[in-house]
Amino acid sequence: MNPLTDPSVQQTLKGVFQLVLPEIVLIGTACVVFLLGCLHNRRWLWFVVSLLGVVAAGVVAGVVKPVTPPVMTVAPIIPDATAAFVRWVAIIAAYVFLFVSWPEVDRTNAAEYYGCLLVAAAGVSLVGRANDLITLFLALELLSIPTYILLYLPARTRANQEAAVKYFLLSVMSSGVLLFGFSYLYGLTGSTNLTAIVDGVTKANAERLSPMALVAIVLVVAAVGFRITAVPFHFYAPDVYEGGPAGVVAQLAVLPKIAGFVALARVLGLLTAPRPGEPFHLPFEAGTQVPLLLWLLAVVTMSVGNVLALLQDNVRRMLAYSSVAHGGYMLIGLVVASSLPDAVTHQTMTVGRYGAMGVDGTISTPVLAAVGGVEALLVYLVAYGAMTIGAFAVVLYLTTPDRPVESIDDLAGLGRSHPVSAATMAVFLFSLIGLPATAGFVGKFLLFVGAFAAPADTPAMRNLYQSLAVVAAVNAAVGAYYYLRVIGVMYLRSPIRPPVSSRAVPTLIAAVALAGFTLFFGLYPQPLIKAARKAAPVPTVTKPAGETK
Amino acid sequence: MYPTFRILLLLVVLLPLAAAVVLPLCGRAARRVALLVSLLHLGVTAAVVLGALQALALRGEHVLPGRDVTSYQLFQPEFVPGDPGVGGAGDGATGRTRWTLLSLTDAPVDKPGPHVQFFIGVDGLNVWLVALCSVMMVPAILASWVAATDRPGGFYGWMFLLQGGAVGAFLSFDVILFYVFFELTLIPAFFLIGGWGAGSGRRDAARKFFLYTLAGSLLTLVGVIGVVLTNPDPRSGAITFSLPDLMMNVQRGLDLAFGEFLSGNPGPLAAKQDLQFWLFVCLMAGFMVKVPVWPFHTWLPAAYNEAPVGVTVLLSALLAKLGTFGILRFVLPLTPDAAVAYGLPAVGTLAAFGIVYGAFCAYGQRDVKLMIAYSSLSHLGFLVLGLFAFNTEGLSGAVLHMVNHGVSTGAMFALLAFLLDRYRTTDMRQFGGLMGRYPGFAFLAFVLALASIGLPGLNNFVSEMLMLAGLYDARIPGMHRPGLAVVAAVGILLSAWYMLTMLQRVFFNPLREPPATGPQTPTDLTRHELLAFGGLAALCLLLGLFPQTLIGPMKADVAALDAIGDLARDRVAGRRPDLGPPPSLNTTGPTGPAPKGKGGGEPKGKGGGPKGGGGMPPPASPKGE
Repeated sequence: MNPLTDPSVQQTLKGVFQLVLPEIVLIGTACVVFLLGCLHNRRWLWFVVSLLGVVAAGVVAGVVKPVTPPVMTVAPIIPDATAAFVRWVAIIAAYVFLFVSWPEVDRTNAAEYYGCLLVAAAGVSLVGRANDLITLFLALELLSIPTYILLYLPARTRANQEAAVKYFLLSVMSSGVLLFGFSYLYGLTGSTNLTAIVDGVTKANAERLSPMALVAIVLVVAAVGFRITAVPFHFYAPDVYEGGPAGVVAQLAVLPKIAGFVALARVLGLLTAPRPGEPFHLPFEAGTQVPLLLWLLAVVTMSVGNVLALLQDNVRRMLAYSSVAHGGYMLIGLVVASSLPDAVTHQTMTVGRYGAMGVDGTISTPVLAAVGGVEALLVYLVAYGAMTIGAFAVVLYLTTPDRPVESIDDLAGLGRSHPVSAATMAVFLFSLIGLPATAGFVGKFLLFVGAFAAPADTPAMRNLYQSLAVVAAVNAAVGAYYYLRVIGVMYLRSPIRPPVSSRAVPTLIAAVALAGFTLFFGLYPQPLIKAARKAAPVPTVTKPAGETK
Repeated sequence: MYPTFRILLLLVVLLPLAAAVVLPLCGRAARRVALLVSLLHLGVTAAVVLGALQALALRGEHVLPGRDVTSYQLFQPEFVPGDPGVGGAGDGATGRTRWTLLSLTDAPVDKPGPHVQFFIGVDGLNVWLVALCSVMMVPAILASWVAATDRPGGFYGWMFLLQGGAVGAFLSFDVILFYVFFELTLIPAFFLIGGWGAGSGRRDAARKFFLYTLAGSLLTLVGVIGVVLTNPDPRSGAITFSLPDLMMNVQRGLDLAFGEFLSGNPGPLAAKQDLQFWLFVCLMAGFMVKVPVWPFHTWLPAAYNEAPVGVTVLLSALLAKLGTFGILRFVLPLTPDAAVAYGLPAVGTLAAFGIVYGAFCAYGQRDVKLMIAYSSLSHLGFLVLGLFAFNTEGLSGAVLHMVNHGVSTGAMFALLAFLLDRYRTTDMRQFGGLMGRYPGFAFLAFVLALASIGLPGLNNFVSEMLMLAGLYDARIPGMHRPGLAVVAAVGILLSAWYMLTMLQRVFFNPLREPPATGPQTPTDLTRHELLAFGGLAALCLLLGLFPQTLIGPMKADVAALDAIGDLARDRVAGRRPDLGPPPSLNTTGPTGPAPKGKGGGEPKGKGGGPKGGGGMPPPASPKGE
């Protein structure tokens, strides 16, 4: 049948708008704010309007039931569980950012600031559900372009301008590389639909590995590497984080990372629902190439980020390198996810060999994958988001025009002068270290388990995954040094310049709420993990028949 | 009664944590509230300990239903909160919990599986250590009574968080929960040393302590995860974080591999032991730093010296025990072969060196506080030797020594509060002839110092003798064990040397004292000090006179570890184990009389999987010897 007249294709295409209603609400609110902001630029007014817009988006997201498109290979938008998870994260993040950015917004830029924020949140949400190269690219740009504006809005000093220009140029370049990679994928498969691409490349690989697909994947990884600040694409981060306004930097540290990791997982086929009878379905050979590439990227990123963070005296540069390092930890999730099929299929064979000597004469099964990688990544993204936004919120709260918080020494004696913000900052820093009872620990724990579990016995990479866990542990110890230094300065030193009291109450409220979030999910992570497991189902091995337990 | 004890046990953990939250709000009254809370905690702990003693005494004749495998050597926690067993009497208790914190499966969380759970309980190994945590809190508070005037609410709050972390770690039966509590102690210790320490080096000491311990324990986390993941249930392939289940999986896996080995296929066993070596290294990384074992001790003198004296009491009495307890609870049962093969030869050698090194360093110190810090290093080396002796005497001696060392070293540090409150220094050169000036203080100091040396009749004597006996085990061949025992015995001698030298310098000779802190002349023991030091001295005497009270309840669990050790030695030596009488194949009932009791020195029968299948196949061609 001609696809143009196929009713299910038509239905798929027509159903698209219903799947992005919350995003439409966000962008619609943003348009209203942009347009009417010219007439009447008031902080309170646009704050309330934007808040209502975000809440409305949340309500719509909760009320509207998604309809799965009938033909996946033409659907540009898919409402799967991952998409829902990312959407909720984006909406909640937008809500938090509205509060965090309070002191940065004034009557000259209120409408633009809030409008850009809503558009960026809509962009993140769309990245989560894009199933088409074009949609994905547009969603990523929808996230980037408002960020350029946000960086440039308060650009009054040279440092501000440098940050904005640097970010703009490099971001545009990474978009170019991304498009180049996408063009290869299109050329190989003749489709822009991700489901079709993943299917096609997987089928092609079953016969013979396609080197062109590998080139495309390398290009995509390089382009997305810019957004997730993977080394060596991280060079902009310290300068931009130092020069940009703290509230915008908080967005910059979190939103592109969420979008980048989800986009990468989507393009690599890690989010594609496995089909019955065919548990693993990836557009690359899981044995070595892509896992090895991601492995190297993860190790280099976390090591370089941590080592360079050790040398920083500026809080923001320190947080920039720390965000690089955390990007490295999160890459572990992708390494695990991309290597899982090989590990499990191989293990099944191993067990077949040893099965005969199992206890009680029953055939024993392999280690069930406890952590799939992607869900560990999602948990880590949420935990990382909370602690990074929180840390920047505290910096922003303490910054006043007379007394900017630049160097770590500016925080000296904070424990006495500002007990609440010092305590929240300490929670975020402990969480960044990964101490137990914080969300950061839960994320690290899942990633460690993932790195250790997935490929217990792969032929090609042998112990590389276990050593990844060890490298991450060593890195976490190195990271502890510079976070602890900040805590030591805050609590164990007397104030050098007594800070003035800030009036940015909403920022402080947001920071305290994020600290509470970090502690709650550190103590009782089950709800978060459950949601993440639902969003990214862990591939399971079909057990041999006759197993009951 | 049984459910009541569960609630009480929960209180033992939660009370310090709650106190940590409440105390900062108390302001000036904080120290009184802190003392009250610590006494209340002591009462609750005493109730739990009394209950536990009854349950542990019953254990020999009382086999819990609901467990299908009784022939594996497992820890059996009592009073587990959240037990899914029938409420009411202990008969229905399963020793498991339903309180899941984090689950790595989509299956319902109340079924067994890869869940991280809030799984705490009492058994013979931790009951006395929990008591120690509760007891030592009182002198720690009393030792800070005068000195801690700066932000007392925060100070005592952090102290209780430290105690809560230590208690929680001792009680944990979930490997990740243990790690959580283990690391939780870092935060209060960091703030206490850095924020309330006396010297100028306190910040560096705090940072060094934190980073050193964290670096080690992150590797321990990797090791723990490694153990969990490489020991799935052989039947279902499910992993578990519950320590008893994990022990069972480890033993099953090793039994299978050893069976293969005895029937002529050494591959699986070699692979298992190779893996165990790496896991052992990872696990020990954190514990060796925490104990500390030479050469990972460099954080210790700084931390002990810079911390306020009350905190030093807790650090030496409780936190140092976390490392040795980790070895006892995790390293020995989870990597038994590596513990046999590398425990005494590698770690034991380091520990033995540490004994002598610590003793000489202690002798060389001019500051009493540093001297006791190094003596603690020396004593802890002994403790590590006792643990890795891995037999009944060594293990019961080591557990006993954890308590004894906690009491006597903690008491020695607490004594320094007397000098610090009066003179603000503990420099040995500035003191002399205090005997005549403070007869009461001198008497108690003598008693505690002699206890620390190991005088017969006082507490350390018993545990040191037991550990030496464990090292001289005639059943186990090899010269390195007696060799290490000789070094350890020399350590005792050296401890008498430096301790008596210190006593002579400070208490005898002509009277010499530094300028006092207050305007009035300092007096002998105050009421609080008498309570703190006198109580500790009496405790040392009691522990020395009635050690059997402590050794009795831990018998069953020590025997379990001993059986694990015996089998591991057989595996490492590659000889056929002496199985003794074949175990009963009855699947529902208990396997033989007194299943956990150690019969007469022969290893416990281990055959009999759940359905009587050959866990230990009777093969034909023995390897090795």
